[in-house]
Amino acid sequence: MWWYLLKRLGLSVVIVLMAIAALFVMLHSIPGDPVSIALGPRATPEIQAAYAEKMHLDQPLAFQFLIFVGNVLQGDLGTDVFSNRSVGLTLSEQLPYTIILAVAALGWAIALGIPLGCLSAIWPNSWIDRVTGVLSVGTIAVPSFLVSIWAILIFAISLRWLPVLGAGDEGDVIDQLRHLILPAFAVGLGWVGYLARMVRASMLEVMGENYIRSARAFGLTSRMVVFRYALPVAVLPTITLIGVGFGGLLSGTVFAEIIFSRPGIGRIIYDMVLARNFPVVQGAVLVTIVLYVVVTLIADIIVSWLDPRVRDSL
Amino acid sequence: MTKITQTRRGFLQTAAIAGAAGLTGAFPGIAWSADGDTLTVRFDREMESLDPGYYVGGHPPNDVNWCIMPALAHFGMVDGQASWVPSPYVESVEVVDSTHIEFTLKQGLMWSNGYGEVTAEDVAYSYDRMTESEWKGDYVAYERTEVKDKYSGTIVLNQPFAPFMNLTLASGTGIILCKKATEEAGGKYTIEPPATCGPYVMEHKQAQYVRLRPNPDWTGPLPAFANIDCIFVTDSEAGALAFEAGELDCAKITSTSYARYLKETPPGAALTVAGALQYMWMGINIENPKLSDIRVRKAIQRAVDIDSIVQGAYSGTAEPSYGIICPGLVGKRDAAGYSYDPAEGKALIDEAGVSGLNLTLRTLNSPERLLAAQIIQVNLAQIGITVEIIPLDSGPFWEMGQESKGDTYKDMDLWIMRFGAGPDPYEATQWFIRDQVGVWNWERWSSDEFEELYNQGIGETDQAKRHEIYVRMQEIMEETGGYVWLTHEPEVFIHRDDIDAKFAPSGEMQMAYFAPK
Repeated sequence: MWWYLLKRLGLSVVIVLMAIAALFVMLHSIPGDPVSIALGPRATPEIQAAYAEKMHLDQPLAFQFLIFVGNVLQGDLGTDVFSNRSVGLTLSEQLPYTIILAVAALGWAIALGIPLGCLSAIWPNSWIDRVTGVLSVGTIAVPSFLVSIWAILIFAISLRWLPVLGAGDEGDVIDQLRHLILPAFAVGLGWVGYLARMVRASMLEVMGENYIRSARAFGLTSRMVVFRYALPVAVLPTITLIGVGFGGLLSGTVFAEIIFSRPGIGRIIYDMVLARNFPVVQGAVLVTIVLYVVVTLIADIIVSWLDPRVRDSL
Repeated sequence: MTKITQTRRGFLQTAAIAGAAGLTGAFPGIAWSADGDTLTVRFDREMESLDPGYYVGGHPPNDVNWCIMPALAHFGMVDGQASWVPSPYVESVEVVDSTHIEFTLKQGLMWSNGYGEVTAEDVAYSYDRMTESEWKGDYVAYERTEVKDKYSGTIVLNQPFAPFMNLTLASGTGIILCKKATEEAGGKYTIEPPATCGPYVMEHKQAQYVRLRPNPDWTGPLPAFANIDCIFVTDSEAGALAFEAGELDCAKITSTSYARYLKETPPGAALTVAGALQYMWMGINIENPKLSDIRVRKAIQRAVDIDSIVQGAYSGTAEPSYGIICPGLVGKRDAAGYSYDPAEGKALIDEAGVSGLNLTLRTLNSPERLLAAQIIQVNLAQIGITVEIIPLDSGPFWEMGQESKGDTYKDMDLWIMRFGAGPDPYEATQWFIRDQVGVWNWERWSSDEFEELYNQGIGETDQAKRHEIYVRMQEIMEETGGYVWLTHEPEVFIHRDDIDAKFAPSGEMQMAYFAPK
């Protein structure tokens, strides 16, 4: 297990370093003068010169890359060109909101999707399976932004049950939970169907295995067979999927953050791209990449812990 | 030492419980709306800077500055017209003659952070500083401020400048800074003013909100709303939905939403058109070899059906444009020198001997402008011109015609452009003088007569003569064949109908003047 962990960690570090290099190359491949791009058309030559010096843009490219990597490794993601605030500070304010939204969205999707998938597999071709199948495909097919707008029209405008703007008052947990419901619903709905289909397929495969037949032959109850012997094996690919999905949600919640005006990493990337505030965009993309790698790593570790056979596959 | 152990089965059980707990976090709330003493408004974007010398775009920096910073004049209504009025910070402001303005500040107005009283020295410092700033165009006629005593002084202009009060002192560039605090901050700041003085103090959380709360040191008249919450809602439709959900008291809306609400206004809501100080046109690069024949450019002018654009792209809510001077301003034209006549356009194309012409039309990728571009594409096809639409995001769009940003300007054929204007015709004309060729004059023409009229317009105080000057300037622009006038988009707000909402003619909210009816 430790050897697997070490190899997996090493691979993650390599991926992050490659991502940093790719990000650096992409930023320097944008047509035009990076100073003009960063500061916009109104900046005076004096401001442009000061910015170029401050950001080491007057240095050779290789030197700039070393400084960039060095700063990132020290946790220095740069400075917001407009507010002069630390990009790291800005992102540390935004990141918790995105993580909370992603956890809440995937949380309710897991809580509903996995049981639905199990039920469909236990009683294949029953009315439960058919209804679940139709609902699953339906929720996967409907775009999340459409779900968001429907949810706002029904629950915020018609019924006035739930708030639609922002993340709630700081320090007021109840208010923050209320503000979380609609975006988490909108982001997570598609995942309910996705997880239900995934678990159903895995469960059907596992339920046909010899050891399950043996368990039944020994007279174990259906509940014990399903929950003790089938589900722990069937859920393994789902855990990998959840890990990848959670990583994707860290930047994929952008539509919910915009429609519900929630703070978050996706929204700050969107806003700062419009404002051409590239140091913040660069920092936010980098943080998203690192988190993606970390979450995928955690998912892989969990899977390898649950299924020792995986440890030899790296 | 306690050893923490976890079995695989235990992990799965814990995960299931955690998932269920996450689900039970959802519970129904109750209806809510803005508190009685709190005004909640929409800001459509984050602020890059609040510094009056370096801000970008009037909204939202001006909305905030007018609540937390002093000024000699604000916008108000005079004889039913939007015009400057003395601000709550002054005992008096008086235009003595065409080049002298006397002012006396109220006593006892204190800067925050212990910087003492607002003084005439601060006024002089602020305006002197503006002549070196990115907004120095507003101070083209400013000479100096003579300080008489601690609270009073005289602003001296270097020439008569009719729009000085409205365009400069009452606008966002007329904000007064604390000299000592600004100098200590290095002479410039972004979104954290080193000292403020106003009825409110500001709390800003990036990309989330600006909260304005009562300033305990404020000795002037108190605003009707003790608190103002300004929420950043970048998406316009999301802003409209939030208003309908009762979470905003006032929100700026798009032409599409305006058309929808004109048909059916939500209960308890009112619509206010704050002004139409936007002018949109289709620019034509007269230096482009494909468009160098003026007959081709005039053919294009005659082939574009403005009524279809107004109806199709703006649902009839925008006003057709006949130049760059906006409705309600001196110099506004009543008609263009050409009209929609595709037959005449085709005849001009044939006369020029042009056939199979392919042009590009660049536009910002907003829904209204893309629709306008598609209508133009169909219009120009009628006279044998094939148009390829190139949608762009704001970054490359605003740089494409600037010589300092690359060579794209050489390849430009047609583009849809929109500028915002101040409450005086001078401001709109300043972007088309000779110095602006390759900066903002992307049509790349110049005219000695235009330059002469531009200087005359600055100094002329007779309104009838100014009208003639600015009408003629627009005629000159039109005669180049470089412009197809499109629309004046209105700045529209939806707000609670029990609120008396106040707006500057340039479309910003004057939140300190909002009051319950």
